Amino acid sequence: MVINVLGLGNIIFGDEGFGVEMVRQLPEYNSYPDYVNFIDGGTQGIYLLDYFESPECLLILDAIIPVEYDAEVYSYQGSDLPSFIHRKLSSHQIGLSELLSLAKLHEKMPRKIALIGIPPDNLDMGMGLSPKVRALIPKALAETDQILQSWISTGINQQH
Amino acid sequence: MSKRIVVDPITRIEGHLRIEAVLDENNVIKDAYSSGTMWRGLELILKGRDPRDAWAFTQRICGVCTTVHALTSVRCVEDAIGAQIPPNARIIRNLIDVTQHTQDHLVHFYHLHALDWVDVVSALSADPKETSRIAQSLSAWPKSSPGYFKELQTRLTKFVESGQLGIFSNAYWGHKAYKLPAEVNLIAVAHYLEALDFQKEIVKIHAVFGGKNPHPNYTIGGMTCAIDPNSDNAINIQQLNMVKKIIDDTATFIDQVYIPDLIAIAGYYKGWLHGEGLGNYLSYGNFPQTADPASGLWPSGAILGKDLATIHEIDLADMGQVQEEIARSWYTYSKGDQAALHPWEGETNPKYVGPDLPYEYLDTDHKYSWLKAPRWKGNPMEVGPLARVLLQYAKQEPMIVDTVNGVLGALDVGPEALFSTLGRTAARGIECKQTAGFMSKFYNQLIDNIKAGDYQVFNNDLWDPERWPKECKGFGYTEAPRGALAHWIHIKDKKILDYQIVVPSTWNASPRDGKGQPGAYEAALANTPMEDPEQPLEVLRTIHSFDPCLACASHIMDMNGNEITTVKIV
Repeated sequence: MVINVLGLGNIIFGDEGFGVEMVRQLPEYNSYPDYVNFIDGGTQGIYLLDYFESPECLLILDAIIPVEYDAEVYSYQGSDLPSFIHRKLSSHQIGLSELLSLAKLHEKMPRKIALIGIPPDNLDMGMGLSPKVRALIPKALAETDQILQSWISTGINQQH
Repeated sequence: MSKRIVVDPITRIEGHLRIEAVLDENNVIKDAYSSGTMWRGLELILKGRDPRDAWAFTQRICGVCTTVHALTSVRCVEDAIGAQIPPNARIIRNLIDVTQHTQDHLVHFYHLHALDWVDVVSALSADPKETSRIAQSLSAWPKSSPGYFKELQTRLTKFVESGQLGIFSNAYWGHKAYKLPAEVNLIAVAHYLEALDFQKEIVKIHAVFGGKNPHPNYTIGGMTCAIDPNSDNAINIQQLNMVKKIIDDTATFIDQVYIPDLIAIAGYYKGWLHGEGLGNYLSYGNFPQTADPASGLWPSGAILGKDLATIHEIDLADMGQVQEEIARSWYTYSKGDQAALHPWEGETNPKYVGPDLPYEYLDTDHKYSWLKAPRWKGNPMEVGPLARVLLQYAKQEPMIVDTVNGVLGALDVGPEALFSTLGRTAARGIECKQTAGFMSKFYNQLIDNIKAGDYQVFNNDLWDPERWPKECKGFGYTEAPRGALAHWIHIKDKKILDYQIVVPSTWNASPRDGKGQPGAYEAALANTPMEDPEQPLEVLRTIHSFDPCLACASHIMDMNGNEITTVKIV
């Protein structure tokens, strides 16, 4: 079994770096089996496709713009995740939703998929998360860990 | 009455490209304006930091071009402090760089640009048998049976009918400017999917040599990877064999899929030779073969006014050559808005004087962009694959001359066809064939060194800042997939005093300058006739042909599914 935990976002734009900060902190938060990979995906867009398509379970950490814009931790699983592709001016605009639809078109969607996101408070150029987002990190870590633990235990059961 | 159309990715995040075009009564573009934002302010993050860390920050400027910024940054610092790197480090850097080029061009062609020429929905009505016949007439690529295309068509139909893929609802399918028969559309869609799979393989080379993927490791003085053919904990025989296989497969894919597709598609569009643009081309050169940065396989030089007979020499340290202007950009200079500053004396003082949000359109008679206007000896320049291919064509590099003439011959057009949107797109494919060859060349260079017992990849002579000059300046450059890229640094007391970056898309997406000269996108869009201004496919074609590198800095997920591009007619 392979679980990929993929942090997305740009660390030089404040809260954009949420996902990357999370994958840096998670290995310290709990201990995980070797088949759990923590990946700093940055803003690599389409070049991350293999990380999307290769594991059984995929957990994505990213700054998001939710429908209701409250400062809290948002969690989506399975079909709750939207997948759509827009016309782009730049290949660099290929984001999470596009990668998900490409994986679907490829018929290579991971068996389980989840997204943990927070709405950014500050996207100005600069290193480090805003106080509002930093305050949400413990909750985001706990929710991420909970999903990972459930996947890990399910994976073990299936091997029996 | 003239019409003005706006193509603008609506996003709440800075970092986008907006095009405004003024059309005449026949829907021909009279004037175009390119406005954008990028990494302005990065120098503030870098100021005061250890120059040895600069590469790790600059690689985050851009989502896809991480490795080229990291490379340019280490070259820049090494130039300033006078550090030398071992031959293996030079070769490995070249190999990572050329791998990036090859992968990037492939992805650009199939996953961004092809859909400007290929109508995906039309592919659903193709006859799989006829598709197979055409595919087999184009190439020896084995995935070409009627059954293969039939299966793909069924999968595609199911997918479109499921309604999940917005790609089929938000684009301009059925637009009159699409000219391919259904069968050629189906071939292109098949290769769109195959290329998606294949690009995942190519990048594995980065993981071998860069250690960590997707952000490879660099260091001042060389590379961090260890080479030992017999060790499990270093680059060893198994990994090198894997690299070799990927390189061979890449060359095959480009020869049997990319180039034949390019010729097949272009054959239906050779009547659409718009998008010429400036006729001025600039390349810094790349892939050095010795310790001299100017020993690159790609030459440096400038071409002015399409005159291939005269190649102008360039010097990035000459204060009068590469300069940035801000007369039409939202900045001020201490010497006044008409000044042109070399990056070593560059200033970044933002001052927004544009319309208040939300606005209908920009005040294009005055300042209208967050991008500065880079100029070479006062000339606006196009950078990228077309510039590099033209330069090599002019210098009669045999591989380029053969490949260019082969493609032009297959299309039955003359060399003047190169000065167009389609020429830019063809140049990228031709260059991709060349870079695939370079991958093999650099791999062989590395193997020869390893066989000779040379495993050195790092030189620590100047790792310690105590050995640096108290104050020094330097520059580093490369040719990124999108074109000329350079960083300039000023180091004082072991810290970064100033850091300036001029990226390829600042050249191409540049606004007008103090003399009113348009940038490359702006010039290329002029005189383009549009079938339907509300579906500006022609604008996307030409802008995409440059492979724009904007909106690259952020990666946010919008759960509302907002449309990115809108068109307004005012």
